[in-house]
Amino acid sequence: MTRIIVMTSGKGGVGKTTCTANLGMALAQRNQKVVVIDADFGLRNLDLLLGLENRIVYTALDVLAGDCSVEKALVRDKRQSTLAMLAAAQSRTKEGITPEQMRELVTGLKGQYDFILIDCPAGIEMGFQNAIAPANEAIVVTTPEVSAVRDADRVVGLLEASDVRHTKLLINRLKPAMVQEEQMMSVRDVLDILAVPLLGVIPDDERVIIASNRGEPLVLDNKLSLAGVAFNNVARRLLGEEVPLLDLTAPQDDLFSRLRRFLRG
Amino acid sequence: MVSQSPFTPTTDLPPQSPEKLVPEQVHLKNEDGQLVLRLPSPVQGALPPWEDLLLQLKQRLESSERFWQPHSALQLQSGDRLLDSRQLQALVETLGEAQLLLKRVITSRRQTAMAAITLGCSVDQLTDMEYLNQSIPTPGQPLASPLYLQTTVRSGIDIRHPGTIMILGDTNPGSALIADGDIVVWGRLRGLAHAGAGGNRQCRIMALQMQPTQLRIADLVARPPDSATTQYGPEVAYIGDNQGIRIALAEDFMRQQLTPRGLGFDP
Repeated sequence: MTRIIVMTSGKGGVGKTTCTANLGMALAQRNQKVVVIDADFGLRNLDLLLGLENRIVYTALDVLAGDCSVEKALVRDKRQSTLAMLAAAQSRTKEGITPEQMRELVTGLKGQYDFILIDCPAGIEMGFQNAIAPANEAIVVTTPEVSAVRDADRVVGLLEASDVRHTKLLINRLKPAMVQEEQMMSVRDVLDILAVPLLGVIPDDERVIIASNRGEPLVLDNKLSLAGVAFNNVARRLLGEEVPLLDLTAPQDDLFSRLRRFLRG
Repeated sequence: MVSQSPFTPTTDLPPQSPEKLVPEQVHLKNEDGQLVLRLPSPVQGALPPWEDLLLQLKQRLESSERFWQPHSALQLQSGDRLLDSRQLQALVETLGEAQLLLKRVITSRRQTAMAAITLGCSVDQLTDMEYLNQSIPTPGQPLASPLYLQTTVRSGIDIRHPGTIMILGDTNPGSALIADGDIVVWGRLRGLAHAGAGGNRQCRIMALQMQPTQLRIADLVARPPDSATTQYGPEVAYIGDNQGIRIALAEDFMRQQLTPRGLGFDP
């Protein structure tokens, strides 16, 4: 059974692509056969985060045009042989593709892989409709910000009315210190509004930026950062393991912040 | 004394003109033991897009699924909307997912009738006149039966109903409930709610937790105070004597309704 999961958010810049890259890599490290598909036609990024840009020969568009087979268009990752990527065309806009074509594309990959992760573009227009068309599960990525949560809520509503049956929530870029100071929405606040099962919480980490620029997902690091561990945990939960949420507060809760809280009453 | 939240109607918001609710959304109702799905008729000549209708229908089916037995028959009143066979097929599939069978189609369009026959439904074709006579909402008409939905009303979802709306679940910011009658939310009301949208000032809005973006009753508009309260109890919003939207705790409100004014004592 191939699980086809769309990673979506509504709002842009919350980390859909970063999560797709890391989750894809983390799943592949657990001996799952994974394909990540960039559905962001015209503004593709996934290849950059995976460091595969210079190895793309064919894009999804070539497959749809019948110029090559899906298998041939897949770019295999050298570091992790079970991970492959299907790049989006940079030349076409999202309106140039139809949901039927996306379904067709994914059907060609079904069966041979354990996971197909689709990186959805921001927005709820055609690109979103295309990306969710082939999926049977969805991961809604949000940051603990009012605007991101509002858009995520809209997206969950649209997913409920579509054929995507299982929606889960991934909260990205949480800053535990700010939550403790009550300056940021907590996980509970977000869940309170969205009412969607939680898949994981990824702490904010500057190393994500470094990793993106290098094209090496965090989960490949030898000494895993907290965010890397969190991504690994999400992958394990997707595989059915029960992994407790990371205690993100521990390292930040030093004497100074306690003292500050105490003084603020 | 009735405890009232400092929830005063704001003067910086323009008053509302009455809304016309009757034909705007898909309407799923029970008529003499028969499930009827009514598609909206054109508003000022414009039809809402088919995709929107289908989305609306899916949301409605999802949140009221337990009101019928599996494999119930359903009657479609499509009015003078033209449905081609592809659209009808999509409708049949959507209904099928909710375990409903499309049995009968009532339409005034010949092509829709033909498409329905090909799908094996029985068809009533009305003439335009018959349909017009049927659909004109006469003033003083009784409200539609209450709409009861078990769902989270999410951002971007509008629920309009020419009667009372009852929601079992939360409504989120960015959503809107617009009713000709009352609005009851058994959960948190965090979106917009407009009761008595046709102009009835007697209508009320009730919620277990009243944290709305905005409240409207008939032609009045109010927004919550800027300072957030942390304690919430079941509350009722209504139009008070001073012609503003007031909010009272549910228990106080009920007590107030029972006591005639001017008795000179506090219940």
